[in-house]
This record gives sequence, structure tokens and C-alpha cells, in this order.
Amino acid sequence: MRAFSYSRPRTPEAAVAAFTDAGAGARYIAGGTTLFDLMKLNVEQPNHLVDVSELHGTDLIETSGDVLRFGAGARMADIADDETIKREYPLLAESLWRAASQQLRNMASVGGNLLQRTRCPYFRNGAGGVYPCNKRDPGTGCAAIDGLDRGQAVLGTSDACTAVSPGDWPVALTALDADIVVLGPQGNRTIPIADFYLLPQDTPDREFSLEPGELVIEIRVPKTAAGRASTYHKVRDRESYAFALAAAAVALRIEGGQVRQAHIALGGVATKPWRSREAEAALRGRAPTRENALAAGRAALAGAKAGRHNGFKIHLAANTIADAISIAAERSAS
Amino acid sequence: MTLSSNPDRPRVDARQKVLGEALFAADQRVDNLLHAMTVPASIAKGQIRTIDAAAALEVPGVVRVMTFDDFADIQTTPASRGAYGQPGKGYQPMTGPDIVHRGEPVALVLAETLEAAIEGAESVSVEYDEAVEFTALMEQDGAEEASEVFTRLGHGDAEGAFAGAAHKVDVTYWHPQQHHNPIELISTTALFSEGKLRIFEGTQWSSALAGGLAGMIGLEPQSVRASSPYVGGGFGQKNGIQEQSALVVRAATIMGRPVKLVMPRGQLFHTASYRPRSLHHVRLAADTDGKLAAGLYRTEQQNSRYDGYNPLFGETPPRMYGYPNWAGEDRVIRVDTQTPGHQRAPHEHPSSYATECALDELAHELGMDPVELRLANDTDTDPITGKPYSSRHLAECLRRGARMIDWGRRRQEPGTLRAENGHRIGLGVACGNYKASMSPAIATLRLQANGVCRISLSGHEMGQGLRSVIAAELIEVLGVDPAKLDIRIGDTGLAPQMLTAGSWGTASVAPAARAAALKLRANLVELIGRDDFEGPAHVQLAKTRRPMLKVEIDTVPLGEGPQAIDNLRRGLPVTTGPEYADFMAFSWIAHFAEVHVEPSTGRVRTRRFASVIDCGRVMNRRTTESQVKGGVVWAIGATLREIGETDPRYGRVLNNDLAEYLVPVNADIDWIDVDVIDEPDTRLNLSGVKGAGEVAMVGAAAAIANAVFNATGKRIRHLPIRIEDLL
Ligand SMILES: Cc1cc2nc3c(=O)[nH]c(=O)nc-3n(C[C@H](O)[C@H](O)[C@H](O)COP(=O)(O)OP(=O)(O)OC[C@H]3O[C@@H](n4cnc5c(N)ncnc54)[C@H](O)[C@@H]3O)c2cc1C
Repeated sequence: MRAFSYSRPRTPEAAVAAFTDAGAGARYIAGGTTLFDLMKLNVEQPNHLVDVSELHGTDLIETSGDVLRFGAGARMADIADDETIKREYPLLAESLWRAASQQLRNMASVGGNLLQRTRCPYFRNGAGGVYPCNKRDPGTGCAAIDGLDRGQAVLGTSDACTAVSPGDWPVALTALDADIVVLGPQGNRTIPIADFYLLPQDTPDREFSLEPGELVIEIRVPKTAAGRASTYHKVRDRESYAFALAAAAVALRIEGGQVRQAHIALGGVATKPWRSREAEAALRGRAPTRENALAAGRAALAGAKAGRHNGFKIHLAANTIADAISIAAERSAS
Repeated sequence: MTLSSNPDRPRVDARQKVLGEALFAADQRVDNLLHAMTVPASIAKGQIRTIDAAAALEVPGVVRVMTFDDFADIQTTPASRGAYGQPGKGYQPMTGPDIVHRGEPVALVLAETLEAAIEGAESVSVEYDEAVEFTALMEQDGAEEASEVFTRLGHGDAEGAFAGAAHKVDVTYWHPQQHHNPIELISTTALFSEGKLRIFEGTQWSSALAGGLAGMIGLEPQSVRASSPYVGGGFGQKNGIQEQSALVVRAATIMGRPVKLVMPRGQLFHTASYRPRSLHHVRLAADTDGKLAAGLYRTEQQNSRYDGYNPLFGETPPRMYGYPNWAGEDRVIRVDTQTPGHQRAPHEHPSSYATECALDELAHELGMDPVELRLANDTDTDPITGKPYSSRHLAECLRRGARMIDWGRRRQEPGTLRAENGHRIGLGVACGNYKASMSPAIATLRLQANGVCRISLSGHEMGQGLRSVIAAELIEVLGVDPAKLDIRIGDTGLAPQMLTAGSWGTASVAPAARAAALKLRANLVELIGRDDFEGPAHVQLAKTRRPMLKVEIDTVPLGEGPQAIDNLRRGLPVTTGPEYADFMAFSWIAHFAEVHVEPSTGRVRTRRFASVIDCGRVMNRRTTESQVKGGVVWAIGATLREIGETDPRYGRVLNNDLAEYLVPVNADIDWIDVDVIDEPDTRLNLSGVKGAGEVAMVGAAAAIANAVFNATGKRIRHLPIRIEDLL
């Protein structure tokens, strides 16, 4: 870890200005649960930190209008515990409380959460020339593709990178078509979440469509009747405090025993939060039976590509979607 | 005095620990301290060409960067890391330009603050000569099979009996590399005070640390004092001198200032010891009634090129049952890695995993209940030596455990028991044993008329509750008040310190404390002229107007002479067992596991565990149960979660942090039910104690793996058993 300078502005505008003044080596810091780790591992070496954890008004949790509004500075733990969210949008609450640990959720912001970096060990633990990594050091190659790739992605991969997009919350937001509101040197803009994350292709170092200095200020989720019959189902190597091997965010509107509307997104198996229109199409107009749920799961993984040790994720993810559909359907009934 | 059964009691240091008042080695306040940080080698094998420290020296606060030039005169001795007491073995990094394993220290940065030391270490740039080929895993070309064969145990004609038997299994099990990961990191603090070198290090053997470092550095052994006030989890990783110990001591000498190094966890995966990967080939045979006819057991263990860590997998499995014929041998395969070492139930956990799973396979092949198969082959004599066991209540452990887990509901046909939610239920059993050893110990006990009692003793508190064991004997014999008890252990300035490992801590320390207490009591009886008093001894002492009584005592374990005390003082290993003149001595355990497997994902949960232990007399019911529960939790981790993943192209552990090296979390642990036999083994020692810490884990992994088979019908012959194995 290297010495750095630090500022703590009080308004979003001042934060953007502080970032711009500091130049290319600046980073925003919120809860620090991603950034400090990466600084200690020398993956990130900022020379200036703009602390955005005390910006006025960014810890908003607003559930009364047509859209759910979450300030970028709201804590994971606070949204996970919000009674309305738990009742009306269980997939959002579950995607948060099934992530990390209580201590981390108490610190971490939902804005910083969107920007967490991959857990690929070759990326995280390989700075200083230990492992090549196209994401960390563009053009050096990928150690994971021919290596221990049990945890790597099977969807959205490229020849340059197979690293998994690790977050749970972004998957739930992807299922619900969230918008990300950002403030930059040029002013405000709104980015649909589908455009917020980039596929690795030839430039795995570019993960987000944010421009330098752009500050996430709010996350907006359009309200939907499918919210109640929803779940974030996460399968991992231990029962808590682990990232997903496979996870499914599912929200359904079921009428007359048939699925009218389906929102399905996948985590733990793809290089970005993965919306599966294929699974949604496979389920729409059908009863949420085990068989149909499994067919939807398989449809989501039809284009998956296995590496050396991660082929099981294809089968696992399909079953995880199916299990999630069953849980969501049960919630529709009650 | 007769031995009484010990009640449930809180640990004597529970309150201090909860309040953070118990100071561990790296917590000691030291003035004028320099912080050190190591620079790890980024290659697995080769030679350093140049070290450029200029940038590091520019970091404010950095005062010096040391390289192998500064440490060239440190001697590698049988006390050095990796030697395990064997001359010519072992390796001390930074004594020359050669690199023999990934991550070994190549430079030591000293700074006024920890932050500066870290930044300085990251600023040192090291260049190496051209890459040298290396071998990281025992399965690869270039791995070297050592010519020596270890523990070649056998009797009868195992091959012949196996060939002619009606029922047999011939299976190979694989065990991964695992890392202890105690919460307390490994650290060394060195300072000079009053002409003596003082070392603080969380170690399980402070005498060997003091004596061994004196030898490596060239100091008089008497001029070194090592203190290990509390060990924040040792589990065998802190048995001996670490890679950094001598470097820190030498740095303090050169700088004339105290130096402290706490090695970061990411580096410990490459510098500290770990459980090596191993391969186990097991052949078992039985007649149609389930009487065992033969056992043949061959193992291979992955070692470094230079270490003296012997593979002893074959020592315990033949002692489990009445095998009429047995043949076993252990080999090592050498690769370019750091030295492995003892990790809780060092060889007994992997060997019981392999052999107790193989026995389950045999039971299945026989169509016999695996508890019945074990009971049918119970024995009270050791098949190898023909000597009787000092005590063995294994059958009772099995019967009690079967009741506790409700074994009657198990179905012989796998995959047939279902929970209401559709999860497959499996029940599994396995047994374990661990040698009952002892070490000599030296105690000084002082009782004051006001009730204050102080004992200085050999032994280290690693969280297993050694202080509470000592307290139990003093409470029983002298009626002391635990609040007025001052127990001093783990410090060579107070008493010579034994290696506290191998489950012999309690069996060595309890008899020493008891003997000291009995001697003090005898002195008191002589003084007051009666021995029929009740209540605290100090009350009687007060009546004599004497301010205090003091006794010193040496205890020598069964079969040893005064030489043992001498060796103890010199920091040499002195342990007995399992073979004694008239008998063999082991602790025993039976484990029962109930697992639930989710069909759609292959997720395994250990819903229930029942473990019944025969560890001789129980010195503290609470800490004994905690030991067993802890052993079971370790086994759940070892069976379902833990693996140090080495990428052979780099020779490095990929998941070298606690986020990615998965140990169980609270949510993984359900009901663990423990019972104790609590029968004193008085043939072994005065306190009737065998040992609990290691045996607690032995066999538990096999119980889980066998339960997984019972639930799913799948035999997974490697660990950890993960989702992809059962999907
Ligand atoms: C051990 C461990 C386990 C974890 N397990 C999980 C898990 O199971 N599932 C899961 O989803 N997550 C998990 N996490 C990740 C955790 O959820 C994220 O680290 C956290 O949400 C990040 O939030 P933060 O506020 O701490 O971000 P920071 O660390 O402060 O910032 C993260 C990144 O976002 C940038 N940033 C922060 N705020 C803004 C903003 N307003 N605008 C623009 N950029 C910004 C920073 O510059 C930085 O690049 C785990 C983390 C750890 C350490």
C-alpha cells in the first residue's frame, strides 16, 4: 500500500470537483470494503481518495413513489433490513443479506457495491508480476483460462478474460431493469443497468460504462407487481460469507396458474450481471412447474462455455434458476 | 487422595480473554521498536541476481533494508525450520542468494512504523537469474520419490490373507493440502534487556525457540529467554522456529533496537507449515462374518526437497481393530515447495479418513452394518506388538454414539432416507485413535497463607485450556480459589518449557500440577500434624503463622529416567508413547454424522454430529467438550470446504487469504453432541489423563464422507467433497 492524500467533501458536486482536480490517480471511496482490500493487494494504487461516505442526502431509501430510490451511500445492511423492501421486493433484500457478512454490510454502500471488482484470484492476488492478468495489466495475458478456473464464468467470456462479475445486488437490480443515476464533470445522466456493465471482449480492464470522475448518486428501480413473488437464490461453497458459485434473481407475476411476467437474471456464472431473456421467454405463458422451471434454467445456459474445471456451473446454474422459480412461485401463492 | 471427577467449570482465563486483557506475543508494549516487513520471493526456484533497495530507502520512516549479506552467518541446525531435529535437513531463508520455494523472504525492511515497513517492502525490487524449472506437485514429472520408506509396520501374511479372503476392497483416497490459519498470525519480537536476548513469539515450544535460536545465531543458551504468553491457536503450525525468527533476532542485534515482525497471512501460506497433500492406497479384507482378515496400507506424502518431516500415516490405523494380518508403508515424494508439518491430527486425520472410509466400503460390500463391523473387530490388544491397551472403551463409545444419533433409522441401502423437503439423509460412522504420550515437566508451587497461590510450570496455553487443567488439580487437592490463582507457563524464564503438542499437554501438565499440590499438602500435613482437614489448605497454613509454603517438583513420564528432565531443560524433544513397557496407550473416539444433501445442487449440510470420546479422566468437562466440538468443526471444514489450491505453473497457493481459503462459518455448523467416557487411565499417570485435542478430529472426516455415501450412493474418494462431486 502506498501513501495517498485524502479529502472528504460534503456535496456530490464538490466530490466530482475534488476528483477532477486530483486527476487520473484519484478514486472515490465509500465503505472501503472493496477499495482498501485492493489497495493492500496493490491492485489499486490511488494517489488521492475522495471520501464520499459523508455526502449529504446520499443515504436515501425511498419506497413510496412509482420507483424505488436508493441513494448510492445507503448501507447494504439498511436496505436489507427495510421492512417494505423485505415484503414487496424480497429479491432485493435477499441479494443484500446473502452477500458478505453483517460487519461488511454495515460498512458497505450500495453504490460502491455496483463497482466491486472480480474475485478472480489471478486478478486479486497477482499484482507486481506474480500472475499475468489482462484485466489488471492489459495485454499481459490471462492466467485463469489455462489455470485453476473452477470459479470462472461460463457466460459472456472472451479469449482475454473469464472473470466473474461477483456482486449479488447488481444481479437483482439487473432482473428489475434498474437505472443508475450518475453525476460527472459534464452533469447528470442516467444509465440503464443493462448498459452499465461491459463484457470483457478485448478490453477486460473496462468493466463499467462510467467515465472518469463520474459519481454514482442514485439507483432507481421501477416498481413492478412481480416484486412480491421474487427471490434471490444463491448457491455457494459455504452457507454464508462466500461469493456465489451460481445465483438466480427471479421475479414473477403469475395469473391463473400461468407466468405472465418473468424477470430472470444470473450471478456467479457470467462476466457481467446476466439477464436471461431466453429463460424468461421459456417460462412466459406456462405454469411454473418443475419441468418448465428446469427448461427455463437450461434455456438460460444454452450459450454457456465450460473451461477446464467449471463445467459443473452450467448444470448448477440451470438448477439454481429452477429452484428460484419454485421459491418465487410459492411466494406468489401466499 | 483418590481421583475425583471434575465438574463443569468456566476457563480460569475466560474473563481476561473476553475483555482483551490477555496479552499475546505481538501485543507486548515495547519501547523504541522497529517494525519489520519481509519481501517474499516471486519465483519458486532459482537465484537472486540483484536487490535494489533505493526506492525503499526513500520511503519516509524506513531505516534499513537487510538482505542475505546481513544474515549469511546464521547457521542452519536441526532446530531450524523444516529440519524436524534431523541434522542436514531444514532451510533458513536469506542466508544466501538461492531461492528454494515461492514466497520465502528475500529482504527484510526495518522502519519506524508498520506502514513504512510495508510500503518499503513493496518498493524493494529483486531481480532473479533466468527461470529454473521446478515441480510444485507430487503428481508432476520432476517429483522425486525418496528412497527411504518410513513406518514399515506389519505382522502376519497380509498379502496372502488378502488374496484368499472372501470380501475385499482395494481403494485409493486423496487428501489435499490444508493450512491451519490460526487467528493469531505468526510473529517474532526480539529485544535485549539486562544483557539477555528476550524473544516474544506465539510458539508451542519456547525452550526450543530459545535454545535453537541461540544455536543458529551463536549465543549462549542461558542468555536467551523466550516467552509465549498465550498462543492464539497453534494446531501444530507453531511447533518450532519459524522462517523469520532468526532474521528478526539478528536484525535486533545489528540495529541495537527491538524489532518486531508480524508476518501477513498472505505470506504465511508460503512460509509457515501446512498439511501436505497425500495419497492413500488401502486394501482391506474380511471373511463372510465380517471378521477382518487383512489390511494393507501404502501412502505417499508430498514434502519439500530439504525437510525432515516424516510421514507417519501408518502408525495408528492398524491399532484401530484386531487385524490378524497387516502391512503398511509410508513414502515421501519431494517437490520444490516449503516444508509441510504437523496440522491438528497430523497424520491421523488423513489416515483415518482413508482407512475408515475403506472400512465403510467393506461393510457395504459385506452387506453389514458399519457399527456392527467395528464392534465385531474390537480388540483389547495391539495387533502389531501384541501388548494390551492401557485402556480402551471404544465399544462403549460406539454404542453410546449410536444411541445419540438414533442410528436405528439408518438404511443400509444408500439414497433411501429422505427428509420432508426432499433432501437426502445419510448417516455415517467412523472411529479414531491417537497415541497417549507424555512429556516431563517441572513445577514450582507456592501457596500463601492469604490464599494466593502461584505455580510456574512447563506447558503452553494455546486456547485448549491448559491453565484450567492446572487449576482443576490445585482446586481439588488444595482447595484454592481460582480468582487467587496465578498460573505462569510458556516462559523459559520461569521453567523449562516442553513442546506442547501431540495431545500430551494435559497428560503431562496435570500430573505435574497434581504431584506438586500433593507434595505441598504433605508438607502442610506434617506441619499441622493432621491430615483430616476439610476446606482450603491456606486456612490451615494461616493457623501455623507461616506466611507461605513452596515446593518444587520434576515429573518424569512413565518409563523415563532423570535424563528426560535434562533434555527438557535443553529444549530437546522428550515424549513417550504410545508403546510403554507393559502396554500400548491410545485415546479413542467414535464419531457419527448425519448429513442432508440437496438433490438439485449437491449441497451438503452436516445436520447432526454425535461424538463420544475416551480420553481417560476428564479434567474440565467444558474445555474437553469444546475440544471435541472444535475437532468436529475442523473435520467439517476439512471434509467439505478446505483446500490450498496450488497452480503448478507458479508453485503458489492461489487462495492465500481467509476470504478464499474456506473454513466453516457459523451458518455451516448445526448440532454437535458430545459425550465423554471419563474413566481414569491410572496405569499411565497420576492424573489418569490420556489426551483429547487431537483424537477429537480423528475419524470425523470419514464419518461425514461415509454419511455422504449413505445419502447419495456416491463414493467420493478425495477431499473436499464439493458441489461438483454430487451434482
Ligand atoms: C470478504 C468479503 C466478502 C464479500 N462477499 C460478498 C458477497 O458475497 N456478495 C457481494 O455482492 N459482495 C460481497 N462483498 C463485496 C462488498 O459487497 C463490496 O465490497 C461493497 O459492497 C463495496 O461497497 P463500499 O461502499 O465498501 O465500496 P468501496 O470499497 O468504498 O468502493 C468500491 C469501488 O466503488 C467506487 N465507488 C464507491 N462509491 C462510489 C460512487 N458513489 N460513485 C462512483 N464510484 C464509487 C470506489 O472508487 C471503488 O472503486 C464482499 C467483500 C468482502 C471484503
